[in-house]
Amino acid sequence: MPLSGHRLALALFASVLIVWLGGMAVVIRHAALPPEANGPMLAIFEPGMAEEDMFARLTRADARIVKQSGLSFIWVVAGDEPGLAGRLKTQGALGAYRELPVSPMIAGCFALADAKATAFIQ
Amino acid sequence: MMTSTAAPTIPWYFTVTAMIVAGCLVAIINFGIRSTFGFFTVPISDAHQWPREIYSFAMAMQNLIWGLATPIAGMLADRYGSARVLMAGALIYCAGVIMMAFTATPLWFNIGGGLLVGIGIAFSSFSIVMAALGRIVPADRRSWAFGMATASGSLGQFIFAPLGAVLVTAYGWQQALIVLAGLSLLIIPFAAPLLKQNTSGSRPTPGEADLSMRTAIGIAINHRSYILLVTGFFVCGFQLAFITVHMPAYLAEHGISREFAGWAMALIGLFNVIGSYAAGIIGGRGEKHVPLAFIYLIRAIITAGFVLLPVSNATTLIFACSMGLLWLSTVPLTMGLVTVMFGTRYMATLYGFVFVSHQLGSFIGVWLGGRLYDQFGSYDIVWWLSVALGVLAFLVHLPIKEIRQPRFAAG
Repeated sequence: MPLSGHRLALALFASVLIVWLGGMAVVIRHAALPPEANGPMLAIFEPGMAEEDMFARLTRADARIVKQSGLSFIWVVAGDEPGLAGRLKTQGALGAYRELPVSPMIAGCFALADAKATAFIQ
Repeated sequence: MMTSTAAPTIPWYFTVTAMIVAGCLVAIINFGIRSTFGFFTVPISDAHQWPREIYSFAMAMQNLIWGLATPIAGMLADRYGSARVLMAGALIYCAGVIMMAFTATPLWFNIGGGLLVGIGIAFSSFSIVMAALGRIVPADRRSWAFGMATASGSLGQFIFAPLGAVLVTAYGWQQALIVLAGLSLLIIPFAAPLLKQNTSGSRPTPGEADLSMRTAIGIAINHRSYILLVTGFFVCGFQLAFITVHMPAYLAEHGISREFAGWAMALIGLFNVIGSYAAGIIGGRGEKHVPLAFIYLIRAIITAGFVLLPVSNATTLIFACSMGLLWLSTVPLTMGLVTVMFGTRYMATLYGFVFVSHQLGSFIGVWLGGRLYDQFGSYDIVWWLSVALGVLAFLVHLPIKEIRQPRFAAG
């Protein structure tokens, strides 16, 4: 088996994954809650952001912190006042989701947060 | 006066590399889209106020039609060329998915989501792609190409499932189906490079006898090794379909959390890509029936261990990773054996009949899993049946003679 075959496989699969990640990023952005949404939701920050920083931003957004998910940059929050999703976004969250729109059946790293949010909502 | 003769230049999209890449992209789209249908069960059933049974029945029918249509698709591919069948499949696939989005009655939903999508999947499936690759790629790289096409299908399943879920959340189920229908049409441009491999009116390739399709099928179904292969592939379908449908419930019953079960299923998908690719490489290095037999035996051993040991996160992880490695790794080896026994001219047709057996196994695995659970209140009996079938498949594959069927050999 010439090495070029393996290189081809690697290049193809890597390219497909890059395109997929781009597509997912676009669609996930569209799946975010509208700014006026309230109630329980997931707030997602940039991975790598300091925990204290995220905590401060959530507080400023008047979000009631329910718990931190298995991924440190995803928080389960709630708020009765309308506009929570918009306030989170203003405070630097990448987006707010009712639940992460990825099935825990095959979601990889998103599964944990998804399941936790779902369990919380239920 | 000197004359120079320049070698004809092959356009880049008709090079072997481009055709392999194109075939793999077809496999990704074909397998990927169908892996998203689970996310539509609830929204479609709720929107139409249908019991879940209607959607489930359409999906069950889709799987059965997929199996039954595969040999027909194979016959057409062997006669008219893989690219044309893939393109026709894309159109049917698209029409079926569009019907899923817009029909409001169970009958039409079954025709769209069950019948048309089933035919569309069969006509644009990776078995048709593999038939094309089998003819394009030199014999010594054929198994690798089969492994790559299978791994691509596995990758499609892995990446499309979350994409489908996101689409439903972002745009609603109806729009999501329209997007997926649009994506299915990508198969048409991706299949275009395979037009170069056109079997219309083809002659047998060197080393192969000139047989009609009818004669070829007749010889194959009376060939002992082929029958053994068909029998063994039933077990593959049984085991995979049972695990896919019933394992999450089994894990939940044994106290494994929903999220952890999700990780486990994701790992199966990820390791499936690696296993399929590796199986293609292994198949290219020597005999195919021995590793194939051992895949079934190892599946049986792993399953027995999983059932005998207390179910924990650790055993679940080990089971998921190892079953993932063995998941579709049977495909390149099975396809390879068909090619060894009967050559490349009718490989899509003859693999198609093997695949019917796989889908029958899938149907029985899913159905029996539920039926016996209802009767005995436990999945244990089906797990043990799966172990027994794994051992049977091991024994069935060992006597396969990995040589060209004499009447398929030229001269």
